[in-house]
Amino acid sequence: MNTTRNRIRGVVAVSGWLALAASLLPGGSPLRWLPVLLFVCLGPGLALLHPQPSGLRPGARLEAFALAAPISLSLASLTATLLFLVEGFSVTAFLVPLAAFTTAVALLPGLPLPAATRGAVEPEGTASFRFRKRGPGDGR
Amino acid sequence: MTNHLSPPTPTGDVRPAPAGDHGAASEARTRRAALPDLALLPPVLLVFGLGLWALALPGIDFRTMDDFGLLDRLPAAFYASLLVLTAGFLVALRRAGTSPGWPLAYCVALIVALKAAPAVLYDSVRYPWASKHDAVVDAVLAAGELRPNAGLSGNMSAYEQWPGFFTLNAALVRAFGVESTAVYLNWAPIVLGLIALPLLVLIYRTFAEDWRLVWTAVWIFQLANWVGQDYLAPQGLAYLLHLTVLAVVLRHFVRPGSAGRLRDRAYLDPAATAVPPPTGVRQRAICVLILSPVIFAINAVHQLTPVMLCAALFVLALTRRYRNYGLLVVAGLLMLTWNLTMGRPLFLETLGTLRQSLGELTENSRAGYAGQLTGPGPELAGRASIAMALAVVVLAGIAVLWRRRLTRSALPLLLVSVAPVPLFVVNDYGGEMLFRVYLFGLPGAAFFAAAALVPATAGTHRSRASVARRRTAAVALPVALLALTAGFLPAYYGKEAMYYTPPAETELVTRAIDRLPDGGLLLATSGSFPQALHRYDHVEHWFFAEQELPENERMLADPARYLADGIPPGVTAHVVLTRTQDVYTAGEGLLPPGGFETLRSRLKASPLFRTVEERPYGIVLAYTPAPKGAPASTGGAP
Repeated sequence: MNTTRNRIRGVVAVSGWLALAASLLPGGSPLRWLPVLLFVCLGPGLALLHPQPSGLRPGARLEAFALAAPISLSLASLTATLLFLVEGFSVTAFLVPLAAFTTAVALLPGLPLPAATRGAVEPEGTASFRFRKRGPGDGR
Repeated sequence: MTNHLSPPTPTGDVRPAPAGDHGAASEARTRRAALPDLALLPPVLLVFGLGLWALALPGIDFRTMDDFGLLDRLPAAFYASLLVLTAGFLVALRRAGTSPGWPLAYCVALIVALKAAPAVLYDSVRYPWASKHDAVVDAVLAAGELRPNAGLSGNMSAYEQWPGFFTLNAALVRAFGVESTAVYLNWAPIVLGLIALPLLVLIYRTFAEDWRLVWTAVWIFQLANWVGQDYLAPQGLAYLLHLTVLAVVLRHFVRPGSAGRLRDRAYLDPAATAVPPPTGVRQRAICVLILSPVIFAINAVHQLTPVMLCAALFVLALTRRYRNYGLLVVAGLLMLTWNLTMGRPLFLETLGTLRQSLGELTENSRAGYAGQLTGPGPELAGRASIAMALAVVVLAGIAVLWRRRLTRSALPLLLVSVAPVPLFVVNDYGGEMLFRVYLFGLPGAAFFAAAALVPATAGTHRSRASVARRRTAAVALPVALLALTAGFLPAYYGKEAMYYTPPAETELVTRAIDRLPDGGLLLATSGSFPQALHRYDHVEHWFFAEQELPENERMLADPARYLADGIPPGVTAHVVLTRTQDVYTAGEGLLPPGGFETLRSRLKASPLFRTVEERPYGIVLAYTPAPKGAPASTGGAP
């Protein structure tokens, strides 16, 4: 895994904790809302989709980019709803589980969406479809 | 993906030249050499277009909006900026195959140019309904809990039965450290538009290899999305999540052995993509797991979108290519689970009224609450909306019939777009079903409309017919894009006078509601003004003119008596009448011309009402019931 990929992974892994730290700054400051917004909109989704064993191919890159925000917002919305349901909402209670989740999944291999891995149906006798060689036409 | 080793054709499409076809290849090279180098034009026109837009902003006099909303307040530079951006996009489209970055930049610029002006300029909340959602977020934060069974007036508890969007915003408000969503909500159309953009590209790319077709479809989607559902609202977020599920399903749920000839380049439309690689049961099961939180979030956020999603998944399951009953069952079960738990009160109520609304096709497909759009701006907006919808549907229809092979390979996209149409039969959704069905049909409609305007480039072979088609398209594409832009502006900004309320007027409303004790009653003609739902969990509401026009005409004969008869005894009741209500009730045809002024003067003159506060932009009146035995003069018509 090359350095750039590791660096992206590292940034994604710590993004939630940075957002949590930013939430201690004065209310309404761009230094506060910008990291929080970026993390809530992209952090968990990118952590889930981005780290692939051999990097993302172009088609899968578009997919990871497009799906990161909806997946992140889904998780954030479900977390917030659960917290209000149990009457336990606070900024910390909202950001800490999302940040912890993001760190944990950023360190694991990305979700095995077929386009992110190798696309076509798993051939007979192959144990995993994740590490197949890249072929033409994959990743649409 | 695009084959980057292949040379671009003059139209920007990238396609390998047939082996041995040296004559055609050299002819293509000569033609390419004859064309002026346009590489510099996209950045120049982009900067020029955005510069014109920025220059136009200070000249937009939104505070004096009148009959035509924002339309006659937009300076010439604003219109010129849209022209320049369209021209730049068309130039960028020529090289879309090799430089997809420029069409992307233009699509982002279009979102900004079309929808960001109010966000930059307005000193108050745009859209009364956005203010309503702001009030829900405030209420959730103040309560610190969800109360789906509270039974609040005006069915406001429904918002806490599908609370996902409001809890998310409550969390953001606290995490940003701002007072309320009012600080950022005018930017919602831009943020939602930017998140939708790559999702649309992903969906279109699944069916089209030609980047020109992909970007034109995205461009048409932005222009045809005048429907105004992308404000700070649950349906805006739920729509994105719906597109996400569709994108994953269309790309990763193809069953093995179902593609048939749709992977044969000789059979496929030249612009089409071959059917995505099939996936095994295990891969599809993993995708269902990945999609489950997204589908769950759709159910937590909005009540109608899960129905639209299940309809889309159902029609997909009818095709051989996407017959995935497992996903359909998971989506159906998640929807049922939510409806029977959190959403139970409204779900049961809706079931109760279904029998009544079932089959009332004309009634369910009406647009708006009641009455006819009245006044030059609203009437123009109404006509432009219909013309826009028809134009996109007609263009899409032409492509569906004309490019049969593309229709065949992109049939799933067509099916998911027409899937919501039968919902007309079921329910009118507060007069909004027409807009919702249009919105959910738009991704497919925009794709096929683009296919009608961007002809296929079949390698280097040029028949007389294909040259004629290309020449027609060279004219039709810019004309259609400009016509759609011309339609978007009145459809989106024609009724803008209803959507902008000066801060002083909103402060008047806030003060009036703050004066009411818990359990007090707020009366207003309609709920379409900012802060109408402020403290909605403490105050009851009666929006007394939200009914058919004849009933309102009866009300206007003696408004004081009409209201007094409807106010429960012993309740503190205040009437708030504001300029925004005047604009709204006149524009939507709820009150006859001059009706609002009649209402205001008669209530003010009535001994049943005492003036609490009066300003040029509004009046607050307190109900002062006559003591028993007092004369019954009410200030009605003589």
